[in-house]
Amino acid sequence: MSGSVRRVVIVGGGSAGWLTAGVIASDHMAHHESGLEVVLIESPDVKPIGVGEGTWPSMRSTLQKMGISETELIRECDASFKQGSKFSQWATGDDEYYHPFTPPAGYNEINLADYWQVFREQVTFADAVCVQSHICTQGLAPKQISTPEYAFVANYGYHLDAAKFSALLQKHCTQKLGVKHVLANVHNVRVDAEGYIVAVDTETHGDIVGDLFIDCTGFTSLLIGQFYKVPFISKNNILFNDTALAVQIPYHKDSDAIASHTLSTARSAGWIWDIGLPSRRGVGYVFSSAHTTADKAEAELRKYIEPVIGSQESESIALRKIAIQSGYRKEFWYKNCVAVGLSAGFLEPLEASALVMIEYSAKMISEQMPVNREQISVVAKRFNEKFIYRWERIIEFLKLHYVLSRRTDSTFWIDNRDLSTIPEGLQELVSLWRYRSPWHYDATHVEEMFPSASFQYVLYGMGFETLPRATQRRSDSALAERLFKENIQRVMQLSANLPANRELLEKIKLFGLQRI
Amino acid sequence: MAKHVLLNNVDHRNLHIITDRAEKYGDNVMFTTTFPQEFRRIQAYYPIFFYKDAQTGKIYSAALFGFKDKENLFLTEKGWDASYVPLTIERQPFLIGVQRYQNEGVAKQQRVIHVDLDNPRVNETEGELLFLAYGGNTPYLEYMASVLEAIHHGYESNEKFIARLLEFDLLESFVLDIQLKDGSTHQMQGFYTINEEKLNALTGDVLAELNSEYYLQPIYMILASHSNIAKLVERKNSRL
Repeated sequence: MSGSVRRVVIVGGGSAGWLTAGVIASDHMAHHESGLEVVLIESPDVKPIGVGEGTWPSMRSTLQKMGISETELIRECDASFKQGSKFSQWATGDDEYYHPFTPPAGYNEINLADYWQVFREQVTFADAVCVQSHICTQGLAPKQISTPEYAFVANYGYHLDAAKFSALLQKHCTQKLGVKHVLANVHNVRVDAEGYIVAVDTETHGDIVGDLFIDCTGFTSLLIGQFYKVPFISKNNILFNDTALAVQIPYHKDSDAIASHTLSTARSAGWIWDIGLPSRRGVGYVFSSAHTTADKAEAELRKYIEPVIGSQESESIALRKIAIQSGYRKEFWYKNCVAVGLSAGFLEPLEASALVMIEYSAKMISEQMPVNREQISVVAKRFNEKFIYRWERIIEFLKLHYVLSRRTDSTFWIDNRDLSTIPEGLQELVSLWRYRSPWHYDATHVEEMFPSASFQYVLYGMGFETLPRATQRRSDSALAERLFKENIQRVMQLSANLPANRELLEKIKLFGLQRI
Repeated sequence: MAKHVLLNNVDHRNLHIITDRAEKYGDNVMFTTTFPQEFRRIQAYYPIFFYKDAQTGKIYSAALFGFKDKENLFLTEKGWDASYVPLTIERQPFLIGVQRYQNEGVAKQQRVIHVDLDNPRVNETEGELLFLAYGGNTPYLEYMASVLEAIHHGYESNEKFIARLLEFDLLESFVLDIQLKDGSTHQMQGFYTINEEKLNALTGDVLAELNSEYYLQPIYMILASHSNIAKLVERKNSRL
């Protein structure tokens, strides 16, 4: 059939390239003669960004569908469990709260937020409505050695070593999924009369033809940005952070506890991420260069790591500086080229949204894979609509963390609350939540990035107060009371039966996780 | 507390082992580990299922004696009510240890018998002797040594057997619902069984492979053993 889409060419490796290759190749039987052909071209000279270590729970099913075993992931990628994020010092400078991966109890029948409000002085929102914040505080794992792979006792994603993750995906894609791997630099792009890419030219492997091209070249954005010149829309006026200083530090002792969540600690001009893998901690300061100096920012990061590695090490250890630009491409899918990963856009990793956006992009491309050339522009239009919506929702959700802060200790925090920097949609939502807690219909789409539960955790974690409405509404306090009590019981039961993170990870390395 | 020591005919020449089966000797267990080579004899009396070790998550074969913790429906005042006692029950209070030694400068190891001195079966007067007057092994001890060897080989083959079952998706978790004659119901969870649907769908080449590995017969012995569930329910009914 002429005009059929038979060959997908992915330009770029790293997490974006290999995750996309894996999702498409496993779905479209690339290992089979009659399946789609999937080729990944990777430069032997360009290194992947090397950070990007937190995933959402969706990664579990993404990897399982690809045929990767969880035991292998944990053994080869220095992986640990992520049960959510803990935000420290964001509201007043002397506070902390959890945004866990578990929705509040009874979330399909009742909005516990309404019933929790009267207890807000006695118990935090997360502690009252779910077990996960308790499990995280105790450093417990979200499952046991006898829990089958990918199954959970409490919902979880991963912290992992980005480089090792790419290596595992590459091995699986090339050895089991039939992905062809070409190590070469692309130095030219050839298009046809309508501007569709026919082939990319490589120095060492000649022309690589394809029907659909996926740009996974990172910030370089070789195809979408450099070749097609699709403009990048900066969102720096909303999310100020434009620099990251990253470092990896060892634990004080090999037996130190591994945190079950990503820790995000607010600072004078941004925030510090702290991700615990079994062998090391990845730490980084994401900040706004307009609100601080390079020296001051460096000092803040070194001060943060001092208690772990000592003053001598913390003063001398090399920090890696990465310039970041918040924003996304005006179009992600242009002609027969679609950008996935950093080439599509970037936002500060406050809610670890980068890897999940790669997963969602790959899933949509795979599921909606154009059958022939005519379909490409139709799928492209729908892809762009869907993902512009998604990027905008992430921006809103990240900005919410800043909008709700009451810190006044630096201009960074004060400037963040300036109305001109707050998207209108977010202003509207906050005005609604002033008198009504977030709930299902706040979402306008079926597959939202963040469910209303996430808004609840951030809102009430940061001390926002939803005032009672003027008129009364039917309530079910008996159900609420029962759910609060059951939560306490479940916390006690799990606290007694769940192992510590490090303990479980060591056992998994030794015995593996069963498939059933 | 267990106290495992290497058995020898000097320190232990007076040791006797009580071989009666009773609750006071710790026989009131819900199930015991078994292995493919034993299934043929097990399936005559006991349902065979699989369980996960809580400490390691590893899966083992099990011969079932009851439906809940500490319930052994084969244990009566007159002893064990079946003519075949599973080897991992019989072996008490012995177990195999590994002894490392040097032979011409080469590090080697051998399996040796250990006994748990704290086990209530171990005493100086009652039961089976272990060593003869002049230091040789009694027939009882020789028999126990062969039981331990069989268990050792059984565990090894069990691991490979389970791995193959998992490879072909032949294991699944299940819940057993039983109803007793007084109308009460009981649910048994946490065990695994053969996925018969997947088993019946196996292609000829897979069946041939399993057969050549001597795994086909044990699989069907497991299925045959499940008719013992009804008999186990009868035992429970008779105690009501």
